[in-house]
Amino acid sequence: MLRSSSCWRAFALALLFVALSAAEALAHCFVGARFFPATLATDDPCVADEMSLPTVQWSKTGDVPAATEWDISVELSKRITEDLGISIGDTWSNIHQPGGFTQAGFGNLETTLQYQLLKDGQHELALLLGLVVEWGGTGAIDSGLATPWSTLTPTFYFGKGFGDLPDSFGWLRAFAVTGQIGYQFPTRSFDVDSGSFIPQVLVYGASIQYSMPYLKSEIRDYQLPDFINHLIPIVEMQLSTPVANNFGNSPITIGTINPGVIWAGTYFQVGAEAVFPVNHASGTGVGFLGQLHLYLDDMFPTTIGRPLLGGSSAPPQQLKF
Amino acid sequence: MRLRVLILSFLAMAFGSVAAHAHAMLDRASPAVGSTVASAPREVSLTFSQNLEAAFSSVRVTDANGARVDQGKPQISGNTMRIGLKSLSQGTYRVRWQALSVDTHKTEGSFTFTVGGR
Repeated sequence: MLRSSSCWRAFALALLFVALSAAEALAHCFVGARFFPATLATDDPCVADEMSLPTVQWSKTGDVPAATEWDISVELSKRITEDLGISIGDTWSNIHQPGGFTQAGFGNLETTLQYQLLKDGQHELALLLGLVVEWGGTGAIDSGLATPWSTLTPTFYFGKGFGDLPDSFGWLRAFAVTGQIGYQFPTRSFDVDSGSFIPQVLVYGASIQYSMPYLKSEIRDYQLPDFINHLIPIVEMQLSTPVANNFGNSPITIGTINPGVIWAGTYFQVGAEAVFPVNHASGTGVGFLGQLHLYLDDMFPTTIGRPLLGGSSAPPQQLKF
Repeated sequence: MRLRVLILSFLAMAFGSVAAHAHAMLDRASPAVGSTVASAPREVSLTFSQNLEAAFSSVRVTDANGARVDQGKPQISGNTMRIGLKSLSQGTYRVRWQALSVDTHKTEGSFTFTVGGR
């Protein structure tokens, strides 16, 4: 099984390389004057040419006694056209039980097809539709870190900056929110091995963020140190609630609230968040989440940073107000 | 093993050809963003994080009533864009800019500054 899942992953990546080699393109999540950074625990509301390499999370599970878990993820996002994009990602996990038993391996491969519904620059509003597919049987099923069944999660994403508030709101205009809500369907309703139902799950999350770059360039330049002017303090929340086919399972909502900060540079951003479980079923103690995120459209504007089809998103033209 | 080779190949391909271009972000302005200046400036100067395409970048300045108070064409050199101003009286003025960096990344923004009133 592991051998076949490796081949599957290799095939998917090979396909991606073929696609990337023929690429042309542009921008990450700019909506008018607002830049929405790539959020760590949830997703930003834009299709983009980006790569998270890696995202690292350390946490303690909600088991008694609690196990220590490391998750290392990689995700690559690529625009097919100006408004249509695809992401592919995977997570390697290591769960160490206090008694010495360790589970390690890849989770199922995850792909996301996304379509940009709206980018309204004047109101700093972005809307996005996506279909997240976790491909069953592509991860370490034997280690208990992946499932033989797939899941499909139609998801709606949004982002809204408050820069369109009247000038009298001053520094408050640098705030923005993003969010997402999805409904996860498993491709099986019953797990024969464990003898339990596989629930359908509402998956949702949000972030509130304060953009120091926006404060400096749109509201007031306080002549702060350059490092400070690149910071975006953020609080993220990610939750999931079983809502159907949940007979015999725990109906509890699980999730985390993650306060942290993102430093956004020209070609990449670095983010770090503390991870607070919302209840005991979600984990024990405070965890950590960190991410290095690369802006491929800025790093490789003439090659892999452009959409595969349809040419440049901003063909040279006379800009008009 | 095959996966590892593919990932390493991709990284080598990706990082081997990093181009020094990106979105042109407003780095600093004169008058400064959100500032109040004692005397009327004769021009607005904007400095960006990247060089600009002169033909496709522009700026305008308006007063509180939306009337244009800039004059002449924007002067663009490298990463700096300047535009002359008419004689300004006391009040708040809005600067709106659009920029196309040399690799065709488009950005835009606006800010205000105030003349007098201290």
